[in-house]
Amino acid sequence: MFIGIKSTFEGLATVFKHLFKKPVTLEYPEKKRELNDAFRGKLEVKGCVGCGVCLKVCPSGAISYKKDETGKVYCYKIDLKKCIFCGNCAYYCPKGAIKMTKEYELASENKKDLILEYEGGCND
Amino acid sequence: MTTTTLKLNLGPQHPSTHGVLRLLLELDGEKILSCEPDIGYLHRGMEKMAEKLSYIKYLPLVDRIDYLAGFFYSELLCRTVEKALNIELSDRVRAIRTMLLELNRISSHLLWIGAFLMDLGATSPFFYAFREREMILSYFEKLTGQRMMYNYFVFGGIRKDIEFLDDVQKIISILPEKLHDYERIITENPIFKRRCVNKGILEPEIGLNYSITGVNLRASGIDYDIRKNDYLYQGFDFAAVILQGKDSWSRYKARILEIKESIKIISQALDYLKKNEKLEQKHINPLNIRLPEGEYYQEIEAPRGLASCYIKSTGEDRPYRLKWRTGSYYSVNLLRKLLVGEYLNDAIAIAGSLDIILPEVDK
Repeated sequence: MFIGIKSTFEGLATVFKHLFKKPVTLEYPEKKRELNDAFRGKLEVKGCVGCGVCLKVCPSGAISYKKDETGKVYCYKIDLKKCIFCGNCAYYCPKGAIKMTKEYELASENKKDLILEYEGGCND
Repeated sequence: MTTTTLKLNLGPQHPSTHGVLRLLLELDGEKILSCEPDIGYLHRGMEKMAEKLSYIKYLPLVDRIDYLAGFFYSELLCRTVEKALNIELSDRVRAIRTMLLELNRISSHLLWIGAFLMDLGATSPFFYAFREREMILSYFEKLTGQRMMYNYFVFGGIRKDIEFLDDVQKIISILPEKLHDYERIITENPIFKRRCVNKGILEPEIGLNYSITGVNLRASGIDYDIRKNDYLYQGFDFAAVILQGKDSWSRYKARILEIKESIKIISQALDYLKKNEKLEQKHINPLNIRLPEGEYYQEIEAPRGLASCYIKSTGEDRPYRLKWRTGSYYSVNLLRKLLVGEYLNDAIAIAGSLDIILPEVDK
């Protein structure tokens, strides 16, 4: 009985202590978290030379591109429906052409928005 | 007059099994006569996937085997491949990996404390534990870019040198005081003790027969901690937590004590890393990782017991067969034995105390 009352008060004391502390949560979406530079968000591509390393390290097959007659890369596509944001492509790209940005709100009503097109985009 | 027993489905909609585990119980009144765990709700074919993907493509996926302790499984795959390719890790890489593994172990145990107390009906500790876990996850996010799917270890080393050591220092200076807080409100609480002391007794022989490892076995008095023989942990001073209680309460206490031991390891690793040696690691061409023909096996101590990886290679750039051994799989099967003779009220408390995580069971 005595132990029960004692532990109830101990528990309540801890709870009350927390009552006057600053909240640890944020009111998303009004307030947003501060992200750091290493964050692995939406991918951006610029300056691809078409070596094909990204295709060979991507576990989900989300990347595809085309080359014209001169060997120039165009229509570099990243399918966000498949991408798992592992960061392999950005880490192994020898030219540093793939960057991971801090953008993370990627939901969309249109399926086409989820296929990112870089290096001039695709005409079709 | 004839009497029949009642068959009851505990889960998959039960809050504490959240859609991934079903326990088929046979009840006589409130007493459990038999228990049949039904698993497979979270099966993703992790082993079969390995046969289709090259090693470098498979590495980001293994974090998902146990999403509460992702570092352990990427470490395990890296270590198995390194063993096959005869790669020795430098001291700095070893210290970095050890530190991250132990931080991950703490975050996993903290989540367990919160979830276990939630199963017993106490809500406040859940939020306290998550708050402390958040510090660790924020640090991981700062370092690796993501909170749970780290993909930070690579074959032969790590992706980039360790940073933000001050954050780790802060975490290990705050944690002991918070643990003291938990202990004050949980450990000696009479309600908690009544639901845990002498409940779900795991006899050492049964534990061994059911291949139980990790904290669950150590709380039954068997000294089996693979970290003591692991070359990753060589040179670190820590004790394996052995308790004799055998019940749910001992398993809780053992995890609290294990967090304290992990803090010790982290502070030793931190002292070493602060010396600022240059990071030395062997660069391996990711596009051409081929294990020599043969079979390779490696094991480490994960938060939920012994975890091991077996690879059979035929010399190609992908495994011929890959097998994971995960601690939780054996703990789930132990429920067949442990729940028999207990009351239905205690079923969730006992199942919770074993720290079962279903992605690890189903793979």
